Amino acid sequence: MLERPQGQKSGRLASAARIGIGGPVGSGKTALIERLIPELQARDVDFAVVTNDLVTREDAERLRRSGLIDPERVSAVEAGACPHTVIREDPTLNMAAGDDLEVRFPGLELVIFESGGDNLASTFSLDLVDWWMFVIDVAGGDDIPRKKGPGVLKCDLLIVNKVDLAPHVGVDLPGMLEEAQRARGERPVVAINARSGEGVDTVADMICRAVLFRP
Amino acid sequence: MLMIERVLGSRLEPAFHERIHRLEHSGGVDVVTVSTVDMPRRRLRLVSARGEDLAIALPRDQKLFDGAVLLLDEDRAIVVRAEVERWLSFQPRSIAEGVELGYHAGNLHWRIRFAGERLLVALEGPIEGYYARIDALPGVASIPRIVVTGEMAA
Repeated sequence: MLERPQGQKSGRLASAARIGIGGPVGSGKTALIERLIPELQARDVDFAVVTNDLVTREDAERLRRSGLIDPERVSAVEAGACPHTVIREDPTLNMAAGDDLEVRFPGLELVIFESGGDNLASTFSLDLVDWWMFVIDVAGGDDIPRKKGPGVLKCDLLIVNKVDLAPHVGVDLPGMLEEAQRARGERPVVAINARSGEGVDTVADMICRAVLFRP
Repeated sequence: MLMIERVLGSRLEPAFHERIHRLEHSGGVDVVTVSTVDMPRRRLRLVSARGEDLAIALPRDQKLFDGAVLLLDEDRAIVVRAEVERWLSFQPRSIAEGVELGYHAGNLHWRIRFAGERLLVALEGPIEGYYARIDALPGVASIPRIVVTGEMAA
């Protein structure tokens, strides 16, 4: 149970938590968000999304058309360069997008920043987000955890997506998960299937615990 | 779980220094140690030295720092202690070594700083990981290096 120091008012926090979702092109970042939306809604979380694309607003349009979320709650940032430049080196465009959403939606509890698809060296600045996930997928190859990219090592939660494809692409899934866990030590790894929704409830619970301080 | 929604100030500020000093004598000062990796976060959960479960949610214009006062009342204070940051300090012996080191440090996205003719790399994970990269780079592996902390890194 949350308690506050004497004299401090109760109620919602002054600013929204901010989390990041990064990972290689096609690993399933947008698909994960599509599955996270109903999970967060079911947990009564007031949230919005900022998507990043290279030179288009493709991911934002996909979410706006999905019917899952009020289109006004989806903002787009065009990186115009390597996606990591606007989530790590100079995240001011994304910070401004988050600030704008917080002004437009008072009481917002969570802003999700989806990075454009990048490589295994991609990481988020903690000036932009409080906590971040990195999504890799089974079809990308079971050697990804062994490559120990900064994204895999430094994220707060590593997600291995498309677990249903393992037998079709010759991947030893238990072995891949074991190697991922070995590379990350005690930090968490979660296996999901963003198409079916398998494992996404676990991700939603972890977000709620880490930055919204839910039980 | 105790909610912390702002940093009240620095323990060095006159407004806090005297009160915290007094609480230290009565054993009322609790410390929460924050790792260098966690220091830039505005939302995180930490447990203080005395076992207080803290849920920290700072406004976006505030950050944690060494000596940040998180709670202060009649009986107790909770103060941040920053974990000592470790740096791998390189001393290139020529311009060519310095240029090559700088090139690779940038490519590897390491957090660095400069101190005179030294280039310092922040150790944000096990040092073995850094050595594994360095030893694979001819021209960098032989550059003299030592691990330094605190004032030695200044």
